[in-house]
Amino acid sequence: MPLTDEPPNKPTPTFKQTLIRVMATQVLWILLLLLVQLHYSR
Amino acid sequence: MHLIDWAILIGWLAYVGIDGIRRTRRSTEIEGYLLANRSLPWWAVGLSVMATQLSAITMIGTTGQGATDGLRFVQFYFGLPLAMVILGVTLVPFLHRSKVYTAYEFLERRFDARTRTLTAFLFLVSRAMSCGAILAAPAVVFSSIFGWPVAYSVAIMGVPTVIYTILGGVEAVTWADVKQMVLVVAAIAAVIITVLVKLPVSPEAALNVAGAVGRMQALDFTFDITQQYTFWSGVIGGTFLMMSYFGTDQSQVQRYLAAKSADQARSSLLISAYWKIPLQAGVLLIGVLVFVFYLFQPPPLLFNPTHDRRVKEAEPAQYQQLASQYSAALAERDRTARGVAARDAASTRDAFRAADTRVQAVRTEALALATRVTGEPSKDVNYIIPHFVLFDLPVGLTGVFIAAVMAAAMSAIAAELNSLATASVIDVYRRWIRPEAPDATYLKASKIATGFWGLFACIIATYAVSLGSLIEVVNRFGSFFYGSILGVFLLAMMKKANALGAFIGLIAGMMAVGIVNFGRPDVAFLWHNVIGAVTVVVVGLGLSTIIPTKPNSLTQ
Repeated sequence: MPLTDEPPNKPTPTFKQTLIRVMATQVLWILLLLLVQLHYSR
Repeated sequence: MHLIDWAILIGWLAYVGIDGIRRTRRSTEIEGYLLANRSLPWWAVGLSVMATQLSAITMIGTTGQGATDGLRFVQFYFGLPLAMVILGVTLVPFLHRSKVYTAYEFLERRFDARTRTLTAFLFLVSRAMSCGAILAAPAVVFSSIFGWPVAYSVAIMGVPTVIYTILGGVEAVTWADVKQMVLVVAAIAAVIITVLVKLPVSPEAALNVAGAVGRMQALDFTFDITQQYTFWSGVIGGTFLMMSYFGTDQSQVQRYLAAKSADQARSSLLISAYWKIPLQAGVLLIGVLVFVFYLFQPPPLLFNPTHDRRVKEAEPAQYQQLASQYSAALAERDRTARGVAARDAASTRDAFRAADTRVQAVRTEALALATRVTGEPSKDVNYIIPHFVLFDLPVGLTGVFIAAVMAAAMSAIAAELNSLATASVIDVYRRWIRPEAPDATYLKASKIATGFWGLFACIIATYAVSLGSLIEVVNRFGSFFYGSILGVFLLAMMKKANALGAFIGLIAGMMAVGIVNFGRPDVAFLWHNVIGAVTVVVVGLGLSTIIPTKPNSLTQ
């Protein structure tokens, strides 16, 4: 199921692709926070 | 405040008001007024959603929380990205294609009028109270700092907001939100840069010092339901809360119902999904950096200037004694903090922690004295950032930050007022009082409802101070409903669920949360959302199975 209405000649991301992108981004933010925490809380 | 700061502040308020009025020409019918003719682009809706979320409580309270408690609060938002994606494929397209004005209108089509009316009523009550609280928080702080009555602060923020919301409807609100978001982000960036420039140590050293006393600990993986902010309460409880808030609360639903299409509505939510966590981390980081700033620049004994003055007048000897102890403790903390910053021996970190503990002990005593003298709660977390902004930000940036706080309050209130008016007119007035009136009647009713709720919020805000922990009450009150309301909407998407199940399930959900709230008040409120939603779904589905009814057109 497409999740954005980008121009028709550009492939629109499916729900699975969007979910992966969003969760990957979130994991990255959380990892970044974890790194910051480990670095500064020694 | 300097004249330049006042000029920036007044200029901003005037600009928002004028721009809001300018947009009234497009809001002459009910669909234009309530849903901007469903014409808003996804990025405007998305920024508006984020602006509504970033209230003045965030600008003042969350930053203050960062100063006293570090980055931990960011975990509260860990459920948001997943919630946005789930909503994007479930409720959002459903509601957008249903062409409804309110989320509760949909509930009548799916279940029955009493389920719709109950959920709408719960929304109206909890939102109206929270609107007052959102206005009260910055109003109380400004009043204390500027020395004027709370009613003035309430009026300065409340009146322009009510005017542009009444005149312009959701279109004016959304575009005001977009500008306010730009201002808020600029103010946050300006404060971070200013603090970093003014610190006598490098940014790396500053964060190192903050880390020594736990301010850089963002993640807490312990599974303890009595701990307010942990990774688990954020991811699990937070997902339910965010799904409920963004999926079923009319103040958010109305935003994406105003988008051009269901796809644009979904895309608007994804902006929050990607950027909410770093934005909140940035807000908390301000607090952390201000904490570090006050390690090297003596902070006041009491950040609330009114309390400080009253205690000094009422108990001069005791105040003086505490002030001397405070100076000595601050000097020791300053010395050890510089040692940590310079990466001296490891024992310096212990000495710094001990010094910080002594400073906190004196502050606790001073706060207790303030409570005795004033008879009011003395916790001054909300005054830390305003103090910094007024005394330590350069001229011009003070005005920008104060304007951003007002902008944040105004955008949050405007959204609430808009949604309160919509639910009042669509779910109460049109449903029960005048079902067949022309559009012009409903448009007029919407404007009157906006004015009414605006006045209500201003009155609540003005008297919030004397009710002490109203904000606490409002939060707990709201937490009764969010999970349960989400449960009803989840049931709506299950074919087997019927109206009786939904209605009884909703009541059962609220009762379950009530029992936990009173029986185990130590359970963190984020978990209430899970309890409410699960109870509603289990009871609702169970009852629907035991007492099935004829399916209506929406379930077939």
